[in-house]
Amino acid sequence: MIGALLLFATVALGLGALAGRWSSRPWLLLTLAATAALAAAGLAVGTGLAPDWDWRSAFTLGGQPLHLRLDGLSALFLVLLAGVGAAGTAYAFAYPIHTHSSDHGAPARGRFWWNGLLFHLGFVLVNANGLHFLIGWELFTVCAYFLIVLDRRKWAVRQAGWLYLAASHAGTVALFAFFALLASATGSWDLGPLRTRTELAPLFWLALFGFGLKAGLFPLHVWLPSAHANAPGHVSALLSGVAIKMGVYGLLRFSGWLPVPASAGWVVLGLGALGTFAGIVFALVQTDLKRLLAYCSVENIGIILIGLGAALLAPLTADGAWGRLALAGALLHTWNHGFAKALLFLGAGAVAHATGTREMTRLGGLWRGMPVTTLTFLVGAASMAGLPPLAGFAGEWLIYLGLFEAVVGHGPAGWAAGPAVMALALAGALALATFIKAGGLVFLGTPRSPAVAGARDPGGWMRGPLIALAVLVMLLGLVPFAAAPLLARAAGAWRPLAEGVTASAPPLATLARFHLLLAAVLLAGGVVLWRRTRAQGVTLGPTWDCGYAQPSRRMHYTAGGFSGTIGGWFTWFLRPARSLRRPHGPFPDRAFTREDPRETVLEDLVRPTGAGVLRISTAVRRLQHGRLQSYILYILIGVGALGLIVLFHGGRS
Amino acid sequence: MNTSGLNLLIGLAMGLNLLALGSGRVSSLIRAVSFQGMALGAMPFLLSHEFSPWVTLVAIATMVGKGWVIPLLLGRAMRAAHIEREIDPLIGFVPSLLLGAGGTIAAIALARSLPLRPEHAGTLLVPGAVASILTGFILLIGRNKALSQVCGYLILENGIYLFGLLLIHATPLLVEAGILLDVTVGVFVIGIIVDRIQRAFDTLDTRKLTVLRE
Repeated sequence: MIGALLLFATVALGLGALAGRWSSRPWLLLTLAATAALAAAGLAVGTGLAPDWDWRSAFTLGGQPLHLRLDGLSALFLVLLAGVGAAGTAYAFAYPIHTHSSDHGAPARGRFWWNGLLFHLGFVLVNANGLHFLIGWELFTVCAYFLIVLDRRKWAVRQAGWLYLAASHAGTVALFAFFALLASATGSWDLGPLRTRTELAPLFWLALFGFGLKAGLFPLHVWLPSAHANAPGHVSALLSGVAIKMGVYGLLRFSGWLPVPASAGWVVLGLGALGTFAGIVFALVQTDLKRLLAYCSVENIGIILIGLGAALLAPLTADGAWGRLALAGALLHTWNHGFAKALLFLGAGAVAHATGTREMTRLGGLWRGMPVTTLTFLVGAASMAGLPPLAGFAGEWLIYLGLFEAVVGHGPAGWAAGPAVMALALAGALALATFIKAGGLVFLGTPRSPAVAGARDPGGWMRGPLIALAVLVMLLGLVPFAAAPLLARAAGAWRPLAEGVTASAPPLATLARFHLLLAAVLLAGGVVLWRRTRAQGVTLGPTWDCGYAQPSRRMHYTAGGFSGTIGGWFTWFLRPARSLRRPHGPFPDRAFTREDPRETVLEDLVRPTGAGVLRISTAVRRLQHGRLQSYILYILIGVGALGLIVLFHGGRS
Repeated sequence: MNTSGLNLLIGLAMGLNLLALGSGRVSSLIRAVSFQGMALGAMPFLLSHEFSPWVTLVAIATMVGKGWVIPLLLGRAMRAAHIEREIDPLIGFVPSLLLGAGGTIAAIALARSLPLRPEHAGTLLVPGAVASILTGFILLIGRNKALSQVCGYLILENGIYLFGLLLIHATPLLVEAGILLDVTVGVFVIGIIVDRIQRAFDTLDTRKLTVLRE
């Protein structure tokens, strides 16, 4: 049954990719059918309706027999892929890429690569052969690259695409080493549980680099902001919602199947806490709406890794149940962040398309013209900020619970859990500020330009995914225990354990009661407010204007001004670009101050390192000059060195 | 085995190495190579204990090939290609000579530290071979004209030939014949290449041939 569903999805995606070259409607139907099949397969395995699916074929690809398996962990990510994929497909159907770039082939290309990306993401998820995993991994990277540079006539887009491709390849190098060493140690490319082979533990560091880079783990996130900001809305949604989660999947998969070094939990927890904090601080000071969302993804990957790190630490302590709780939180947060962030990117794409800009300082007052986008975006933003009763809070709450238990249980893990809780709480507060900034500057207030004032909600095919995802985010918040069986199966697939598998269900049921109560209270409050405004009528007037007779839209908060105070605390870390011209003389003419966020890690760490490597290699390249005499000298030196080695060490070899 | 006669010839070859390094004209360089080839060709007579027609044949062939045919070919190439008679060195003559002399001393020191068979320990075969190889390398590295480099290559081959003489008792003279063939082919090929380069680029100065490095 599972096999048939996956086969159907494969065929539908392939046919859709072909049909999409000419026409969009058959492509839409086929791709939606494929995502439905993927969701059905994932849900069937995830909820336990169907047993784990394991399929070996005699058919070989690259000399290796095909080996597919779908277990609880894969199923969880497969459902995420299907959900975000379906929403993105419907959105892409109506998203007019070519209106901005006059590139009429772009939509057809986009449909082709979109199906390619969906297929290879799914292929990686159900794969149990190292070689095929690598092939799928590389192909999904390439598909994503072509989707990022869909609007290829813009220089910034090509630059972002190049950075993405270069960074991804750096990660793939580590994964090549990882899989090749694994295969040479075990004698087979076949993947599966190998927890007893303790000599394989150091391979985890390679996996952490390779998968961490794809996940956007701080400080390996350098490719992420520009790629997410410059891709079309649905592509950013799939990248942020699913593609970077593939890094998380890889880390979960191989930390579950292979033994890990003793320090792995500490490192993952530490990197997670660092990423959570750094990601949200960078997100707060961004002025580009999609960059803000991208940095927020860095933060959420950090949160997920805190959960994973706690799960890796827990077996070191006597009572390891709290690790399971944190892991369930990480898994739930993977879903929540995937759906909510997809919703936000789709909303941001709609805003960018309607207004032609992503600069928050130029937007404002969109709630009048785009009520659906505004409402759904605010639902996503509230969820991302971790506000109950929405989905974002549920996952974080499980992680909190796990970490609290670790703190209460004392021991060395408690020392790690304490700072992690603090980082999580600090990041939660900053996330709230970030999304107040994003929501407030973009949607509230008055429009700052005629183009923004004339912006309208997008058409039905773009509104539909927004509404569907917003409903899903609310449902996941109100009835989070619905996800508990999937979490339990996924945690069981991660590392089989007899007890504590369903640890997440009771806390989630408690949380659901609280969330439902809160939702009822909020709803009642909303109804009361609405009735009173209806009864008394609303008079529109200016807000308190600080004594200015004519408040203009130039007095709005700018994006930099809104986050200026909090951003100022972290200047040492953010290192923004500042330019200042002071007023001079009794009649000053022009004066301004400007502060722009920079890609600090990229510009201050990666670029200088790269420049150093380039200098060294340029110097080495001078050896290749074409003068025969020197080449002969090289040979002489080489032979002489070999002779000396043989002369002095030959007898001992 | 006539050790003193052999050592005399090898000493002569080593002296010719220095002469080759110090000569400022292409023709004298070719002459040095020619004399060295003849000295080397005579060595199998001194090394073998009894008369053998095969050894005699190879020795005569070596003397004729190294001492007469190859220098003749080089001389013809020099005239045909209108090469300037003056050598334009990359490493000057005095530094070349110093390097060559240092190399010769180092070769003798090296030969002392090598575990040689007793019958070879008394001869200059190994130091001569190493010194010739080093001289060949110095000529290859330190000269700009392709023809001088061919001479360096020939001296290098002579060094390898000297090493080959160590094995004269263990292996048939086929080895020497093979080396001889090797040299002939090498010179043949280089002669053709020199001719082609001369026609295509109108120069034999290897400094001007660096555009082909990619």
